[in-house]
Formats: sequence, C-alpha cells, structure tokens
Amino acid sequence: MLLIEDDTEAARFLVKGLRESGYTVDHAADGREGLFRATEGQFDLVVTDRMLPHIDGLAIIELMRRKGLTTPVLVLSALGSVDDRVKGLKAGGDDYLTKPFAFAELLARIEALLRRRSSAPQVTRLKVEDLELDLLARRVTRAGREIELTARELKLLEFLMRRAGQVVTRTMLLEGVWDLHFDPQSNLIDVHISRLRQAIDRGSDHPLIHTVRGSGYVLRSDP
Amino acid sequence: MKLDLFNTTAFRLSAGYTLLITLAVAATLVSAYLLTERLIDDELDLIIDTELKSLEEKYARAGVAGVTDEINLRIESWGRIGGVYMIADANFERIAGNLTSWPFDGMPGEPWPQFDITTIEPGRRAVHPVRAAVRSLPGGDLLLVGTDISQGRRFAEKFRLATLWGIGLSALVAALAGYWFSYRLARRVDEVTRTCQRIIAGDLGSRLPVAGADDEFDSLAASVNRVLDRLEDQAGTLRATFDSTAHDLRAPLHRLRTRMDALLLRAPPLEPAVHESIESALREVDQLQRTLATLLQIALAESGAPLAAPAAVDVGELAAELVELYEPVAGAQGVQLACESEAQARVQGNRQLLAQLLTNLIENGLKYVPAGGRIDVAVRRRAGSVQLIVSDDGPGIAAEDRARATQPFARFGPGKQGGSGLGLSLVAAIARLHRGRLELESNEPGLKVVVELPC
Repeated sequence: MLLIEDDTEAARFLVKGLRESGYTVDHAADGREGLFRATEGQFDLVVTDRMLPHIDGLAIIELMRRKGLTTPVLVLSALGSVDDRVKGLKAGGDDYLTKPFAFAELLARIEALLRRRSSAPQVTRLKVEDLELDLLARRVTRAGREIELTARELKLLEFLMRRAGQVVTRTMLLEGVWDLHFDPQSNLIDVHISRLRQAIDRGSDHPLIHTVRGSGYVLRSDP
Repeated sequence: MKLDLFNTTAFRLSAGYTLLITLAVAATLVSAYLLTERLIDDELDLIIDTELKSLEEKYARAGVAGVTDEINLRIESWGRIGGVYMIADANFERIAGNLTSWPFDGMPGEPWPQFDITTIEPGRRAVHPVRAAVRSLPGGDLLLVGTDISQGRRFAEKFRLATLWGIGLSALVAALAGYWFSYRLARRVDEVTRTCQRIIAGDLGSRLPVAGADDEFDSLAASVNRVLDRLEDQAGTLRATFDSTAHDLRAPLHRLRTRMDALLLRAPPLEPAVHESIESALREVDQLQRTLATLLQIALAESGAPLAAPAAVDVGELAAELVELYEPVAGAQGVQLACESEAQARVQGNRQLLAQLLTNLIENGLKYVPAGGRIDVAVRRRAGSVQLIVSDDGPGIAAEDRARATQPFARFGPGKQGGSGLGLSLVAAIARLHRGRLELESNEPGLKVVVELPC
C-alpha cells in the first residue's frame, strides 16, 4: 500500500505500525511524489493525507480516478468539519478518517477497504457457522432456530456478518449502521452490541460476537 | 418575492404627485375658462349698453318715430351681425324691430335676460340664443337691444371641451410618468432587497447591482458593496484561520496519539499499570480533540459561513433514529426516553449537524436527569417551520441562568460533572446555521429546549 503523508514523524509511526501488522508500505512525503507513485497503479490501497505540499490529497484522488484507477483510497485529514468529509468522498475517496485517530481505527478501515475489493456484493444470504441471515426475507436463524430482531439490530448484524472475521470499530458501526459521522457518547454502541449478542449468542456455547480490546468488535466462528 | 409596486413609497409618492399635478392643471384651466366666459359676456354687455344709450338719446331727441327709423336703419343697413332690436309699447306690442313678438312674459326680472330666437336662413331654421337688455323709455314704451351669442356659446363649448381634455391628458401623462418612475425606483430598491436576502441566506459573494447612472442609488450600492467586500474578506480570513488552527493543533495531537498508540503496540507488552495509564491518557487526548473539534465547529457556524450543500432532512425520522440509538443507554440509566414525531417534518439542512444537535440535547438530558426520570423528544410541523422539542423532568436550569446557558463553557448547578461545557453552544450554533432559533424554557419541572427550524 502507499501512504502519502507529509508529517514525517507521524508517517514514521504509521509505516512502522502497518509493517508490524503485516502490510507492505511505501511512503511518499509530498503531493507530487504521491501523485507520481499513486498513478503508477501498483498498489492495493492508497492512504493519503488531505493537506499536502505541492498537490492536495483530493487532487491526487481526482487525477487517479480520471486515469481510470479504482484503487481504494483512504483520506486522512486534520480538517474535521462535515463539509470536508463530504468533499473528500465526492472527490472519489472511499473512506475518510479525521486526525487524530487511533491506530486500531486505521487498521480496521484499511482491512475493510482491502476486503471490500474482493467480496462479492450481490449476495442474498449471509452465513457464519450456524448463524444465517436471509437478506430478502429479513430472517435470522441460529442453528435453525429463528431469532426476532428489530430493523436496526438486523442492519447491525448484516454489517458485522458482511465483515465476518474483520475488526469493526465503534466509529465504523456508527457510520455504517446509523449514518452518524461524529463521535457521540462512547458506550452507545456497546449497549446495542450487547443487546444483539443477547439475541444471537444466548444459550450457545459457541459465541460469535467478540470484543476486541481497544478496537471494537468482530463476528467470527473461532474465539 | 414578487414586486408589489402598489405598496411602495415611490408609488405612493408618484400617485400623490399625479393628483397634485392634475388638480393644479384643472384649477388653471377652469379659472381660465371662467374668466374668458366672463370677458365675452362683459364685452357683449358693453356693446348692448352703448347701443341702448344711443337709442335712448335718439328717443329723447326724436321720440318713438326716431327710434323706429334708427332701428330699421341699423337692421337693414349698417347694423352689426347678430344684432337684435325691438321697440314695443307699454302692452308689449311690437312697434318696430327684427323680433316678431315680445320674447318675455312681461318685464324680465333680471338685468341681462336671455332667450332663444328662431331665424329663417336659406334652407334651414336655426335657433340662436340671445342675450339682451331692456329699458323703459320715458313715454312708457320699451326698448330691447340684444345680441346673438351662439358664436360665443360655441367658443365657450369648445373651450370647455379643451379644458376637460387638457385636465384628462395631463392626469394621464402625469400618471404614466409617475408609474414609470416609481416602477424604476421600486425595481432598484427591490434588487437591493433581493440581493440582501441572498446575502443573509449565506451567499456572501453577492453584490448590489450598480446601474452606472452615478446617482444616489449607485453610491449607496457601492458603499454597501464595500462593506460586503470587507465582510467577505473577514469571513475568508476567519475560515482560513480555523483551517490552519485545526491543522496546527490536530497535527501535534495526532503525533502524540500515534506515539502513545505505538507504545501500546510494543512487542514486549507494558506492565498493566503503565498500559492502563497510557490508555487513560489517550482518552484525555480524544476528549481534547473532541472539544477542539466542537469549538471549531461553533466558531465556523458563528463566522456566518453558509451551510454547504443543504439537503432535505426529515427531522422526525432523524429524531426517531437517534432516540432508538440512545434508548438502551437511557434504559440502563433508568431514564425513559421517548419520541413523538409528526411525519414529513422536513427542513433544508445538514443531516450530520442536525443529528449532532439532537445528540447533544439527548446527551445533555441523560447527564442531568436522575434515574426514574424521563426525556421526551417531539418533532412538530408548523407553518413554515419545524419545531423540535426536547424536554426532561430533571433539575432544569434556573431562569436567571438560561440566557447564558448557550455560551461556551457555561456550567451551573452544584458539582455538575463531565461534558465539555460546549453542548448547548453547539446546539445554538447549529440552529443559527440553519437560520433557526433556540429557546430554553422551564418544563415545570425540568428543562424544555425548543428549536425552531425554518423549512
């Protein structure tokens, strides 16, 4: 992946952390170099800062898209207003993260963007172990037993199941399930997850929803 | 807004002037008419009077026969055109003259009586009005001298017609000119009003039109435009300051956070106590970042920058979603959170900001309402606006504190914990950004926050 970030100290930590997490990372320190490397088109993912010397991060994305490159782009920005976020996504960015962010948040987003590329979106039925979600009938069963869920819980479950095995952060859930792009009270999501967990995992010796300390949640079969 | 010409000062002024001009023209023409009519009559009267005098003298010298001769002479030879003469005896019987009979019923009561005569002219009969005077002669006979005034009448008739036309035309011209002037004036004022409304709505780039006539409107427009230039400049500078402040403060915060993150991820794990304190420091950093973000957002909203790309937001739906999001948390605190919203309560705005407004109000309630209490969210449609009401039965805010409750960092009540102290100021700022109003009231007991957002 390519990281375009002009703040050398922040970049150093990010590159180090990402490499330790198993990614191959190239670093570009300004917009011009970033644009040059990004348009070579050999990366699975581009993570770019919004404000860069020489060429703005958004301009890089626009030029990439004009060249027909569909490489997913994650925009990092120190500008936190809602407008900036909208501008970032309009320019062709795939996700937007406001600085400062937790490294775990960045990792989860990167993972989600990389997986999104490979996963087929046209499914009507999601299945993780003995948990099944029929997207057309909006029906959930666990080991054949039907589970009653509210519309929102269903959406939450779908979000987790589509990303089975991936860590999903609270912010990602707020954005993906509630369409809220700011940080309300922190334990909000925890309460909703614990309700969902009650419904899905109660009475099962094989829990599917797991808490990842310091990051968020993951839905997967093995503990 | 349609231009309502009839309701403008310019229109009322021109209407007034039109009336004034019409009245002045009418007064002039009518008095000229009356004066002329009078002048014609006086002229005729003088002629009649003079002839009467000369005939009376003739009577004094030559008696009835003399006058008769004189009258016949005047009628047949050198008499003036339209002259009417008659001498009659005391019984009104004709002695001589060009009238066939005495035209009055006895003696006329007025000094200048008028009557009509019928003349036989070649091919037609004509009726002529005559103005006359009568004198009793010393011998008891009566002398009548008159004059055909049909020509004068016709002249007066024409004059009257001309007067009426003159009044009508001048009124028409004055009205048209007034309409034109007031239309132009009203249109220029209307342009100014429209531009101002656009600017109020957030289009700081709008400028008043300068017609190039170099008149007082142009100089007013130019002055206002200079004020707007300065305002736009300041808004731009403010915006740039926010952006660079955000960047300059967030970058070091980001580095700080990344370093601490890196510490937590180190290969040999840290001692649990150190790990714990770094995590708590991280929470502080996040809180600091949230406060900073909120402050910048408030400042941005207060800078008068317009709402970027507003879209239709169903406030009722949004309220229901947020209440659903918060309901479990409220339930865990023993607080009942309920929502009651009317359908189709849409406003033009930013969904994220409106969500943040509602979130802040709900979180505020959750912070202050004790277990067993309740928070009600209501969304109502009003004419031209949507009303959003969040009320609770918590401790509320004392009446004297309500005014400053929306100021940043205002905190009151004994030992109020947590929060950045920015919640209500952000709510106020977002409401203002949506051209709305925020009002804090007593819910008796508790706090009732009413946000009115125009559609």
